Amino acid sequence: MTESQIRDLFTGIAGAEPETSLVDAELARRRGRARLRRRWAAAAGTPLLAAATAVAVVVTVGLAPAPPRPGIAATGNRPAAPRHFDPLVPYLSFGWLPAGQSLVMGGVRRTVVFIEAGRKPYSAHGWDLNIYAAGQCHFTPAAKTLQCGAAPPEGPGRNIVGPAPAVRGHRAWWAGPSRNWWASAGLVWQYARNGWAWLFLPNMYRYSPQQIAAVKRDAVKIAGHVRYGAPTRPLVFPAQLTRLPHNWRVSSVVYLRDGRLLRARSYALAASSPSLGADGGLDYQSGLPYFTIDPVTRRFSCAGYLHWPDSVSRTINGYRVVVTHDMAGSTPKQQLCAAHADGLDLFVSELGSHPVMSVDDVFRHHLRLLGGNPANWVRNPIG
Amino acid sequence: MEHAPTNDGFPVSGSRDDEYTEYVAARLSSLRRLAAVLCDDWQRADDLVQATLTKLYVHWSRMRAASHPDAYARTVLVREFIHERRSPWAKWVSLTEEMTDPPAAMVDHDAVLDLRAAVAALPARQRATLVLRFYCDLNVDQSSEILGCSPGTVKSQTAKALDAVRRALTLGQNPGARPHPPRSAQR
Repeated sequence: MTESQIRDLFTGIAGAEPETSLVDAELARRRGRARLRRRWAAAAGTPLLAAATAVAVVVTVGLAPAPPRPGIAATGNRPAAPRHFDPLVPYLSFGWLPAGQSLVMGGVRRTVVFIEAGRKPYSAHGWDLNIYAAGQCHFTPAAKTLQCGAAPPEGPGRNIVGPAPAVRGHRAWWAGPSRNWWASAGLVWQYARNGWAWLFLPNMYRYSPQQIAAVKRDAVKIAGHVRYGAPTRPLVFPAQLTRLPHNWRVSSVVYLRDGRLLRARSYALAASSPSLGADGGLDYQSGLPYFTIDPVTRRFSCAGYLHWPDSVSRTINGYRVVVTHDMAGSTPKQQLCAAHADGLDLFVSELGSHPVMSVDDVFRHHLRLLGGNPANWVRNPIG
Repeated sequence: MEHAPTNDGFPVSGSRDDEYTEYVAARLSSLRRLAAVLCDDWQRADDLVQATLTKLYVHWSRMRAASHPDAYARTVLVREFIHERRSPWAKWVSLTEEMTDPPAAMVDHDAVLDLRAAVAALPARQRATLVLRFYCDLNVDQSSEILGCSPGTVKSQTAKALDAVRRALTLGQNPGARPHPPRSAQR
């Protein structure tokens, strides 16, 4: 009995074939051809060419699909978003920006990559683009909300306030709070299967309708020119960690653009211990160090930390440092501040009651300062 | 095989594109229907067919050499379906609020919907087994070839799938038959 019912069911499903097919045979042919080209390049023994072709495939096939067709889900069969990002690879770059704007900073965590354009870092008038790894965002059609990140306080969980022009053939929406949308407006779209992009617009307080329309036009144009996975300048680190436990790795990096360099300014380490969450572009883990390092500036000094309770001044490896112990919320925090240390100003910090090694030990035994000359900086922060 | 140079320096058989285009034009509809039965959703079915066509183009030489090209295409499609359902991307975001695939007109709508839900709840491999057996009317050996498993596995998968569907339908018709833990266990 069940078998015949199932036969009828299948026949019924197959019989309800819509007249309009969303299958694009020509697109399939182009993708197939691109795959063959990549295989051919690899088989020819030219890994560099193969890698370049692979990037080209992602960019030309994955990110510039055929124009959208009515009714097609934006989740169509396009290349999938990365499951994780490599924190040491910037991955993302702007292909176009309005006049006067340029890349100022960026960051990479395993689940999200961001870049910011403006006149200076952390500006309210800049453009902030977040690209999420596969599965990091959840779209709820009924509620018209898109939630990205682990929990509401961390990731933006915002309303979809209306449709936006398609971004290179991908359906897009304006997102943000329903009231005072201009304050934290965003443009969202799926840049790859199961992966969302979120472009935060500049704060448009007191903008005229014409100015807002111009910003929205710029947003769509910026979004349409974003380069995913294309080669960028490498990240460089002004210090190198040595002789660390084998399972320690860099979990997240925030970098600044310094002239022609992408300088890693702060970065955190991770192992297998539970994460404390993310803030300010870094993923923190209990008991593991994180770093903030800048080329030396005249104004920077650690003297202020000497006034904190439980602070001590020491000389380690010939550098004067101040070590403080305090609380970050309910979590113990220890921090080492070093000013003018071989051309660098830096902090080594740790959260948690039982760090694997103290900040003193990290600075004394594991941190090799590479000076203020970028020529000596390295791409690999763990030697 | 003769390879014609293309403008990107990539050698491709000159007849590959023509054969491929011809085949797709002739068989697209049947591939879509099979995909729809597997996915129970026409939009996903089209995604599945799209991926299958790409693979067919890449492996066109195998397709050409196959004694039954349709069987080869069916194999690619079914395996792609199982592979996709296993992958993390299976839980993709659905961007459409409305039901795009109303069930075909049948007499007892409730029964059809129950059955449809029961079949939809099956694991991908079991559903694929049912589709091959009861929609494509393939025998156990043919199904095992497509699924890449032994005939015994096809038999057991079929039995498990039918059993699961029957159980789901029974529970649906008689909610009181759902097993309840004893009161003592609820405390």
